[in-house]
Order: sequence, then structure tokens, then C-alpha cells
Amino acid sequence: MKRTLVNSLDSMKRGVANFSRSQKFYFIIAAMAIVAILPIFLSKYVVSEVLTPMIIFALYASSWNLLASSGQGSLGHAAFLGIGGFVSALIAIKSGVPPILGLLLGSLLSAAIGFLIGLTCVRLKAWFLAMVTFGFSVIIVTIFAELDDFTGAVLGFPTPLIVDRGLPFYYLTFAIATISIFTMYLVMKSKIGLAFKAIHQNELEAKMVGINTAKYRLIAFVISTFFAGLAGGLFAYSIRYIQVSVFDPYYSFLPLMIAVIGGLGTIEGPIIGSVIIVSIDKYLPRIDPLLGGLIGQEGLIPLFPAVSNVGPPIRMLGLGLFLIVVVIFAPKGVTPLIKKAYNYLRSSPQEEKLK
Amino acid sequence: MITSGLIQALLWGVASGCIYILLATGLNIIFGVMKLVNFAHGQLLMIGAYIAFTVTTALGLNAYLAILVAMGSVALLGVGLERFTFRKVLGTDKLNEIFVSLGLIYVFENAAILLWGNTAQQIPSPLEGNQLFLGQVSIGYDRVIAILVVIAILFALFLLLKKTKIGLAMRATSQKSTASMLMGVNIEKIYIVTFALGAALAGAAGALYGIIFNFNPTIGALPTIKAFAIIIIGGLGSIPGAVIGGLLYGIAENTAVYFLGGTWQDAIAFTLLIVVLAIRPTGIFGEKGE
Repeated sequence: MKRTLVNSLDSMKRGVANFSRSQKFYFIIAAMAIVAILPIFLSKYVVSEVLTPMIIFALYASSWNLLASSGQGSLGHAAFLGIGGFVSALIAIKSGVPPILGLLLGSLLSAAIGFLIGLTCVRLKAWFLAMVTFGFSVIIVTIFAELDDFTGAVLGFPTPLIVDRGLPFYYLTFAIATISIFTMYLVMKSKIGLAFKAIHQNELEAKMVGINTAKYRLIAFVISTFFAGLAGGLFAYSIRYIQVSVFDPYYSFLPLMIAVIGGLGTIEGPIIGSVIIVSIDKYLPRIDPLLGGLIGQEGLIPLFPAVSNVGPPIRMLGLGLFLIVVVIFAPKGVTPLIKKAYNYLRSSPQEEKLK
Repeated sequence: MITSGLIQALLWGVASGCIYILLATGLNIIFGVMKLVNFAHGQLLMIGAYIAFTVTTALGLNAYLAILVAMGSVALLGVGLERFTFRKVLGTDKLNEIFVSLGLIYVFENAAILLWGNTAQQIPSPLEGNQLFLGQVSIGYDRVIAILVVIAILFALFLLLKKTKIGLAMRATSQKSTASMLMGVNIEKIYIVTFALGAALAGAAGALYGIIFNFNPTIGALPTIKAFAIIIIGGLGSIPGAVIGGLLYGIAENTAVYFLGGTWQDAIAFTLLIVVLAIRPTGIFGEKGE
């Protein structure tokens, strides 16, 4: 009791919520238990259309986040999502290996290509790197489309069944994502992660204290692209279909949006961001008719005569504004705000008096 | 036969290169003075094209006068952008600028879809379809005028930067912002003027683009990338470099399309960009080292 009091006093001083190590541990266990048990009571639609994508995109955004923690903001991560997805599905179909092995091979190939692309990128400044990664994703989509005879990318094809949809696939995704995110957590807490942070803050200074910046930036690239490929494989198996549209810039910008809105450089940021963004993506379209009704009988059409369906552009516009507002007013993402709110709610009246 | 085709590609290359020069110069001025890279620059081009389109179709204004309207409105938009978004993240993490630009891309593209719809448009020009014949090759009058307009704009820009006080202040700021601040330059004002100027160039580029090509709300991304390729060829922050790079790029692109066909066009632009950067991470004419 006393310890928690001291702890929360301490956090009041700092102005941000702060959890002790054991508190954090219990919190994670509780959260994992909820994530594991809750889906049993939910409908199959929610499990396979909302919760599973949430986990996959949390993994995908975490991989992007790891790369960004070394100061490298990729704008072409969809290339690796697509490579992971296509390669794991193609290997499973063409050579008949079990899909789960295809998943691993796809991620490994994604990491190998990430290594090659990383070789070019590690010497570049932030803006050139953003451009070049974006460029690579365009080149890779062109290659996949040109080799259509082999890849079947343009029209797409159904991916093999790895386990049954719904709960079994959900638990598989959950297990893989937990192991992957935990691995990334270990990397970011290790000396390697420290080097990433140093490079992010000031590359020249990092170089001066003896960090081989090119090597560590390349390491970040390989780890990040491995897990992005893994997320891609899971993504392809979860929607049971893969097509060249997986390389859309939308999927390159998505992990950025998730990680930045959740909280850049933290391990929980991409997870919370994914919950927010996927919920918006899945549930906000339901208010489209309502949105129309608010303005008048014919909806927003009189206001925007050029568009027949105003919902999607308005949502995307809102998402863009949301990103800008978060970057400007809450550069650490929404996670600290959630912690603050939690701390405010759980502080007892006595503690209130102490304030 | 091949020579006439080549000359044709060359001429068209110069014309489309000119538009990219304006965009790249705008990006370069903003980077030179503010050390800021605006990835949403191509979206300003798109907005410029739509504004010119609106004033020509709704108000019946001449397409070439609409260029001025587009420049003015996009410059105003630039002032707002600098004041309310980029200024807030300037000097923080470099990644933040990329994030804000990305947010702006979403905002502009979808605002344009809501306002003007998702279909392709073209600005009606009084000279549409008229060709200038030079021996075996021909070039549309619109493209010739585009080249002349770009030359005029670049000349005006040169005068502004070299002969006026504000140009001097901008050049001073680009060399060392803190020192010029100590010399009494109002940095915040210079930043606003610089961003507005860069945006105005993008607006002009947009109006010219809209006269020559079809456009829709999502065309912005590709010109941004091409402007980047030009900057990488010409060196970040160098305006003469942008002019040379723009001409080279426009010619290279049109020649490549002439010989190889259109499907690999974008991938070729990127391959060029990546090969150059792999060999020289700061661009061909860029400064060396940190």
C-alpha cells in the first residue's frame, strides 16, 4: 500500500504515469489473459475480421516501429508485407510444404531482401531514405506484376488454409505475434536497442562514441523486414486471398500511422495504435449513413456534389488530421494520455488530498 | 526516323522537365532556407491544378491567367501550412516532418476528392490541339508556352533572390540561420515567405501540368517523387542543379518511354534514383559528408 502511494506520488511529481516493474508485469499478464479469453465469447465475425487484423497490424507496426527507433522512417514497408505474403503462399502452393513452414520461408526471404535494400539505405539521410524505401516498394510491385505468369499477382489467388478461420487462426496469430513482439522488446531493451536510440538521437554523435552506425542500421533493417514479412504471411492467410493490392502505399503508410498514433519507439505504442486504427477502420464506416442523415435527407451529397459516397474520403481526411494533431500536440502518441487517465481514475481520495 | 523520334522525345522531355523543375526548385528553396523536406509538395501541385481548373471553367478565365490565381492561392495555403503545421515540428525529430507531410497528403487528396470528385480533368486551354511544326517533329503550343512561362518564373525568382533585400535575407538564412538572426533578420517572417514562395512555384507547376496533362486528386505523389529524383541528380538545396537535373530527367524519362514503353516508366525513375543514391548518398552534385 505504502509502496504504491510513494509510487504514485513520484509519478505525480513527474506528471506522467509510472508503473513499477511488478505492476507492469501483472498488467501485461492481465492484458494477455483478456486477449486470450475474450474471443471465446465474441462472434466469429469479430474474431476473424476485427481482432485478428488488430494483432497482425500490431505486429506489422511493431516491425516498422523497430526500424523507426533507429531513426529510419520507411515509407515502403508494404514491399515486405507483400513479399512475406506472396512468397509464403506461393511456396506453400507450388512446392507443397506446410503453410506454416511457408510463413517462415517468406519472412526469411523478406529479411534477405530487406538486407539488400538496407545496404543502400543505411548511408542515407532521413528524407532520402523515406523516398528510396518508397521507391523500392514501387519497383517490387512492378517486378511482381511483370512476373505475373509465375506469381499470379495481378488477379491474385486464394491462399492455402493454415488452420481453420475464427478461433484457431486467432490463437495461432496471437501466439506468433506475442513471441515476435517479445523478441522485438528484448532487442530494443538490449545493447542493440540502445545503439538504435543513440543513432536516432544524433547519428554523428553516435558515430563519435564508437557505434558502427551502418551496421546497427542494417541490423534494424533485417529484423524489421523479417517481422514485416511474417505479418505479411499472416495477413495473406487471414484474408485467404492475396493480390498485388497488398503493395498499395496505403499499407506502407498504415504502420507509420499506427506506430505514431500509439507512441513511437515504445513497445506498447504499436499495439494500442493498432487497436485504435483497426477499430476506426472496421466500425466507423457504420456511421456513414448517419453522417449523411445529419446534414439532410440526401446526406452530404448537396454539400459535396462531386462524390457519390462521402464516407471514405471524410474518414481518410480525418485520419490525416488525426496524425498531424498527434505529431504536433502529443509527440509521444496517445499511450501516455491513456496512462495518465488510468492514474487519475485509480488515485484514491486520500491521495487526492495529498495533492 | 529514329533521329526525328529522338528529337520529338527530347522536345517533350524539355516541356515536362520544365514542370518538374518548378516543383524541384520549390522543394529546394524550402529545404535550403528551412532545412525542411515537404513530402506533400506534389499535393500542392495537384491543388494548384484544381484551382486553375475551377477559375477557368467556372469563371471563364483564360487558362494562362489562371496560373497567377493558382500561384497566389497555393502561396496562401503555404502560409497556413507553415504557420500551423510545419513550424510546430521544425527543429524536433526529422521523422516528425515526414509524419506531418504524410498527414497532409491524406488531408489534401481527400479534400480534393470531396470538392472536385475522383474523375480525371483537364484545364481547357485556348490553344488546345494547335501544333508547332519544326521539320519532321511537332510540339503543342501549350508545351512551348509552358517552357516560356517556366523560364519567366525562374528569371523572376533569380531577380528576387539576388536583387532584393528579402532575397538577401533568405540567402543569409540558408547559410546560417542563427547568425542571420543576430544580424536582425526576422527568421519567422523569412520562413513564411520561403514556404509561400515554394508553394507558389508548386501552384504554377500545377496549373501548367493541368493544361498539358489529365489530372485527378491522386496525381500528386508521382511528381513529388520525380522532383526528388531531380533534386538528387542536382543536389539538395542547389537551384541551378535543379534546373539542369530537371531537364536531364525530363529528357531521360521521355526517351526511356520512347524506347522501352510506358509500363516500366515509374520503376525506371526509381531505379535511377536508387542507383545514384547508392553510389553517392548526397546526390551527384550534393555537398560531401555531414
